[in-house]
Amino acid sequence: MQAVILAAGEGTRLRPLTLSRPKALVPVANTPILKYVIDALLANGIREIIVVVGYRKEHVIRYLNDHDLPVRVVYQENQLGTAHALRCAEPYLQDRFLLLAGDNYIDAASIAQIKNERNAILVTDHPSPTDFGVVIARDGLVREIREKPTTTDGKIVSTGIYSLDRSFFRYAVGPEVPDALQAMILDGVRVTPVRAVDWLDAVNPWDLLEMNSRLLARIETQRAGTISRSSKLYGLIRIGKGCEIGPNTYIHGPVMIGEGCRIGPNCVILPNTSIGARVTIEPLSYVAHSLVMDDVVIGSHSRVIDAVIGEGCRLADHTATWTSEAIFEREKEGFQKASFGAVLGDRVRSAPYTILKNCIVGNNASIQSGNTTVTGIIPDDAVVI
Amino acid sequence: MCGIVGYIGFRQAAPVIVEGLRKLEYRGYDSFGIATNNPHIDVYKCEGKISENDRAAAQLHGSIGVGHTRWATHGVPSDRNAHPHLDCTGRIAVVHNGIIENYAALTRELEERGHRFRSETDTEVVAHLIEEYYRGDLVAAVRQAITRLQGSYALLVTAEGHDEIVAARDASPLVLGIGDQEFFAASDVTPLLGYTERVVYLEDGDLASLDRDGWHVFRDTTPVRREIEHVTWDVETVRKGGFPHFMLKEIYEQPKVFYDTFHGITPESLPERYRRPSEITVVACGSSYHAGLVFKYLCESTCRIPVRAELGSEFKYFTPPLKGIVMVISQSGETADTLAALKKAKAYNCPTLAITNVLGSSVTRIADHTLYMRAGPEISVAATKSFVAQLAVLLQLVALMSKKDDFAEPLERANSAIEEVLLQDIDRAVEICRPAQHLFYVGRGLFYPIALEGALKMKEISYIHAEGYAAGELKHGPFALLSEETPVVALCSPGDTYSIMLSNIKEMKARKAPIIGIGAHGDRELIDIVDVFIPIPGSHELVQMIATSVLLQLLAYRTAVALGRDVDQPRNLAKSVTVE
Repeated sequence: MQAVILAAGEGTRLRPLTLSRPKALVPVANTPILKYVIDALLANGIREIIVVVGYRKEHVIRYLNDHDLPVRVVYQENQLGTAHALRCAEPYLQDRFLLLAGDNYIDAASIAQIKNERNAILVTDHPSPTDFGVVIARDGLVREIREKPTTTDGKIVSTGIYSLDRSFFRYAVGPEVPDALQAMILDGVRVTPVRAVDWLDAVNPWDLLEMNSRLLARIETQRAGTISRSSKLYGLIRIGKGCEIGPNTYIHGPVMIGEGCRIGPNCVILPNTSIGARVTIEPLSYVAHSLVMDDVVIGSHSRVIDAVIGEGCRLADHTATWTSEAIFEREKEGFQKASFGAVLGDRVRSAPYTILKNCIVGNNASIQSGNTTVTGIIPDDAVVI
Repeated sequence: MCGIVGYIGFRQAAPVIVEGLRKLEYRGYDSFGIATNNPHIDVYKCEGKISENDRAAAQLHGSIGVGHTRWATHGVPSDRNAHPHLDCTGRIAVVHNGIIENYAALTRELEERGHRFRSETDTEVVAHLIEEYYRGDLVAAVRQAITRLQGSYALLVTAEGHDEIVAARDASPLVLGIGDQEFFAASDVTPLLGYTERVVYLEDGDLASLDRDGWHVFRDTTPVRREIEHVTWDVETVRKGGFPHFMLKEIYEQPKVFYDTFHGITPESLPERYRRPSEITVVACGSSYHAGLVFKYLCESTCRIPVRAELGSEFKYFTPPLKGIVMVISQSGETADTLAALKKAKAYNCPTLAITNVLGSSVTRIADHTLYMRAGPEISVAATKSFVAQLAVLLQLVALMSKKDDFAEPLERANSAIEEVLLQDIDRAVEICRPAQHLFYVGRGLFYPIALEGALKMKEISYIHAEGYAAGELKHGPFALLSEETPVVALCSPGDTYSIMLSNIKEMKARKAPIIGIGAHGDRELIDIVDVFIPIPGSHELVQMIATSVLLQLLAYRTAVALGRDVDQPRNLAKSVTVE
């Protein structure tokens, strides 16, 4: 059995986090989403995996190389839709194959459900179905797929995972896969819906926090590096090699800390927090329910809660996030209500005593004067004075 | 990273394994070894590249064998440390890829039980463990041994009196090749291609036995089924892992290489007697020489130690009174001119220091002390990650010699700046370089050697005539060549040289030369006077210097690709120059 994973798209709805990486490489519980998809396939003995890369392809390839993952890489030079991406892999496909999105979490049990079905689509219930393709099924067969409808009665949505064979290419002539599937159904081909066991998608950047919490619950415990005897560690905690956990640091799992981090002394790390590699958290800081990526520095006396902190951010001392609810107007997405602390893109810098109140800060933005309360959306490369 | 191959079948095993190891050389090439089972275990081990030392190895007898090509991490490459490793009796041979994390504890335990170890590797412990548990059933002994191992491994085991190879994996790659009355096992599919297209990918925790009639996979003691897959890949695609060229692969490895190398050098890496020399002579060739020039600028200004940087090939033609320490820089550690210079320094009784990427290479055996870069195997002829790794070593050296703590501080996170520069869009600069016959690279101070290195990259792989100059030297001649057909790459970062660089650029602009200006993020002046401005991340001069050298690699690479050049194998060039 073969599998095609689409990892060529940027995932623009996750901006600003997708400037340096496609959504498939966004780390959740310190592991890119793409890796979960590959692992789910490998766990089912599916070894012939083709990954279609495009946006920031070198980064995807580098990741696959570093982890010795046995996949074939295919390029989609221009991002012209999911069906076009699939066609890039067509020369390598023999007969039946699974088609998956590289930027949604999927578990091995779901793959086991669908892999033996011919012409099937993996579906799940979702509280906000209008963000997805709504699947209308009757008598055990898919009747229709409505892509991101404005209103719907159904709650069943497509996970973007399909079991197909080469005959699908007769219909996959347009840019998108759901349209091709719709055409196949209209042509009278029987397509069965299969229920997913566990599937997760982060539509907006703040959704990553929920996804992070769900996946952190499944980590395996590990204590590497140097951990001070006077630190207190409770619950499910994974600490990578070369970490230094300073004295009087309190960590309550589920918490995952990548390799080569320096934390403490006197820090508090509370549940549902993932911390990437080479992160420094200076003394007397408090981090909870957050996703912190690689190479971040959080200054002393900081308080980071409900926040997504992009790669290489440097927060000066006394930086605080403030969780509240606000309405955002986002490019193409219109108005959205969301409650979280902060979403920082890559390499954001903040001056001492910055307060980040329910804000989205763009890549390379710099908050240069202290004692500032930042709210709303700050664009890439902005300087806040 | 290492590579392993095993063969059982009707052919002579050794030539098959030698050929397979050669294909795995991209995973490491500092030493290799082969064991055949005929039914006695014969072993051949050798330090060095397999492609240069394969004759004797291929003459071992027997149709069962295992082999290994090594990239040393624990224990220098030597005949003793090369795989395969044997047990005390010499009847069990093991090759291993991965790291056994608890080998020290296991070694102690086994030594107490009377086992004698011969090497410094983590692998030998596996051979002795298997011996310890061996009761006539090799599979059972391996099964029991692997329960004791922590870490990662792909193992191949063969033993006297057994017509089989036992394979096991956990967190290191291993595939089986299924031929017609012959079977293979290897780190990736490249050694199998040409013999069979049918492969079986083992899962973590799998144990497999290959004999003359077939193959069996077990989880613990339970036989399990593993699907046979058909691979149609070609060897080159597998080795580059999806990148179109090794050079691009290596360029993208640089954030990690810089970080690992920079943090791999600690105060213990440099003995006290090298800390305060009266003077330093740096000898190197090519890109390594440019790294040496960077060191000269930094060491003289920061440590107040006089530094001479000399070309290896010219060093033999003058007989300076050599004093202080002599330092050589060579990626491969085999550069002939550099070795000759090192011997000369020894003759003068100077303490010698080598900087190299290859453990156990020739320079390490001649020099009194060696500092290692952690770049991993570099395959592309044009040096990229090894240059950045050399800078990492040299910058740490300056920090250690100067005893200034704040010197290294801004470099701790230079990996982020390299990562950021990899995102830079340089299409417009490539458009300017592509049609050019001649290119100038100019810079001042620290950026002068970086300009030299940038020009070297460009000429090596794009075949465009590119010259690096100290910006102030242009007026002493090369200025006569400037016209609208000679683009200039100007390195102009904030600092002491900034304002004078700006006026140099204006002068060049007045000769109608198209200017690609490379300067700091947010620069307001440079951007107005150049044709294409490329911003460099990093708020510190040293970080900007590293980021600039990476950017110039990308510029050379993209230009060469746009011109359709053979980037990894440029014409007339060899990776390491081992003749004078």
